[in-house]
Amino acid sequence: MSGTELEKAASANRARSGPSDGPALAARDLTRRFGAFTAVDRISLEVARGEIFGFLGANGAGKTTAIRMFCGLLEPSDGEAWVDGLSIATRAETIKRRIGYMSQKFSLYDDLTVEENLRFSGGIYGLRKREIDERAARLFDRLGLHDSRRRLTASLPLGYKQRLALGAAALHEPRVLFLDEPTGGVDPLARREFWDLIYETADSGTTVFVTTHYMDEAEYCGRVSIMVEGKIVALGSPKELKENAGVSTMEEVFLKAVRP
Amino acid sequence: MTRPTYFHPVAHLVRKEFLQVFRDPALLRMVLLLPVVQLFVFGYAANTDLKNVRLSVLDESRSRESRRLVEAFYQSGVFIPGPAPSRPDDIERLLTEGKAEIGIRIPAGYARDLAEGKQAIVGVLVDGVNSSSAGRAQGYAEQILLREAVRGSAGPVEGRARIEGETRFYYNPELRSRHYMVPGIVVLIITIISSMLTGAAVVRERETGTLEQLLVSPLSPAQLIAGKTIPFAILAFADLAFATTIAVLWFRIPLEGSVLLLAFVALLFLLVTLGGGLLASTVSATQQQAMFTLWFFLVFGILLSGFFYPIENMPRAIRYLTYVNPLRYMMSMVRGIFLRGAALPDVWPDLWKLSLIGIAMFSLAVFRFRKRVR
Repeated sequence: MSGTELEKAASANRARSGPSDGPALAARDLTRRFGAFTAVDRISLEVARGEIFGFLGANGAGKTTAIRMFCGLLEPSDGEAWVDGLSIATRAETIKRRIGYMSQKFSLYDDLTVEENLRFSGGIYGLRKREIDERAARLFDRLGLHDSRRRLTASLPLGYKQRLALGAAALHEPRVLFLDEPTGGVDPLARREFWDLIYETADSGTTVFVTTHYMDEAEYCGRVSIMVEGKIVALGSPKELKENAGVSTMEEVFLKAVRP
Repeated sequence: MTRPTYFHPVAHLVRKEFLQVFRDPALLRMVLLLPVVQLFVFGYAANTDLKNVRLSVLDESRSRESRRLVEAFYQSGVFIPGPAPSRPDDIERLLTEGKAEIGIRIPAGYARDLAEGKQAIVGVLVDGVNSSSAGRAQGYAEQILLREAVRGSAGPVEGRARIEGETRFYYNPELRSRHYMVPGIVVLIITIISSMLTGAAVVRERETGTLEQLLVSPLSPAQLIAGKTIPFAILAFADLAFATTIAVLWFRIPLEGSVLLLAFVALLFLLVTLGGGLLASTVSATQQQAMFTLWFFLVFGILLSGFFYPIENMPRAIRYLTYVNPLRYMMSMVRGIFLRGAALPDVWPDLWKLSLIGIAMFSLAVFRFRKRVR
């Protein structure tokens, strides 16, 4: 392959991966106030492409509010943010095509079958039937749900439901996947399996932005930030944070950050 | 990579909505049973036809003509013989004592007046305790008098102009309340189905958290609204067809007008009900709230629609209020199409007002909905 062909291929690649080769996600002084209460207070961060970024914080620290701003569900009061190089203030509609989102609440339809849920998720993103069927079949195989695909989703164990929800949120192969406390209420084994699926999703090039308050999960992330009362008080790889704090677990890092 | 996928996502929304309705026993019951139950309850139980009205006759004419008049009363099937008065005062006494509901006094000159083409005055006294049945009894009586007058009279009849003003009697000659009620029920059914299901569908997704999933998707507000209204418009039309079929085949209600016009009128009416459902969903956090909000407005809308009580009998202030009630126009049009064979020009005065209200309500709903989901 000649040099120019390589360049062409690279630029085609770039065209497919969007207008920017910068960070998958960036925020500069992003702020959200509700009346006198500041839920998110001037947070700044950058998440590289393909990274698994852990967005940590206690309940009520402002994690969900921040995610909702990135996803276009909530307008910032101040500051700026970019998803896949696009400003959330001006390009929210385009951003929506490129992101996936899984909320804390189980967000599939209990009264649809497993298969119908996936068809619907793919369908509203404009995927063709063939694309949906192929990807769904792969996911069923991966989750061992092939024989349950005609079961009502309500009848699945929670651990399966959560992995199914992740699969549905990632079915349209988003650039950035936002997971808001995706593993609440399941046992450690189910959480482990869930994280296996997160790794696989990230391996295929998707950037994963995940909130959690399970500190063992924080260890699985490439980098994490810790949010306290709307502010980011620590940011780095789990290893760096542990070294800086002079402790051996993320649990201790977190407790130190939350109660200095 | 150009794919014609614009309508595609909406089709997925519609399909999903149908799957959910047909899988939810409560919703399915509402769609399938509500039309049947309402039609049969109102069609049979709330039958307000008059029967066995006791009639006291003071026949001072004692002529062939007067006997024929009395016979006409009994043959109507509405009146049965009550105690016979011997003096004019007796009629009043019988009514007061509750021994008769209606009394007539045929004057001595009745036969002669008819023969000479003069106005024959027959006195009619009605027990007005139950004003609505009294009004109808009086209506029957006047109708019979008119008919007999025309039959026996050589000249013009004075009373005719007055009676002709009562178009209701004219188009529903037996004053069959069922004929009047059933088309009204058809309106109620599509109102309830379309508004309730739309309101519930949006709020249900808010309750379960799936609405958020839709809001982060590339679906536009217009697509979302289409996905949340088209399924229930289709179900409302199915129920309209279903209820109309029962009305015509079972209750033998005449459908004099065009089915196409009925469908067209219903389509415009759906702007109101679907808009109402969406509006209720924007102010409600739970399905119960949405249902309650809708019922609140539906009760007013139905009471002031002329469904039970004629609008002409309402106090003036209330009558003005009915002008902004879309159900009023819909009731009047659907009854007109069923019973009178009303065509487009006949329903036009109602139709343009309904359209105006419908467009206003749906626009408001879309505006509120977009604001709420942004």
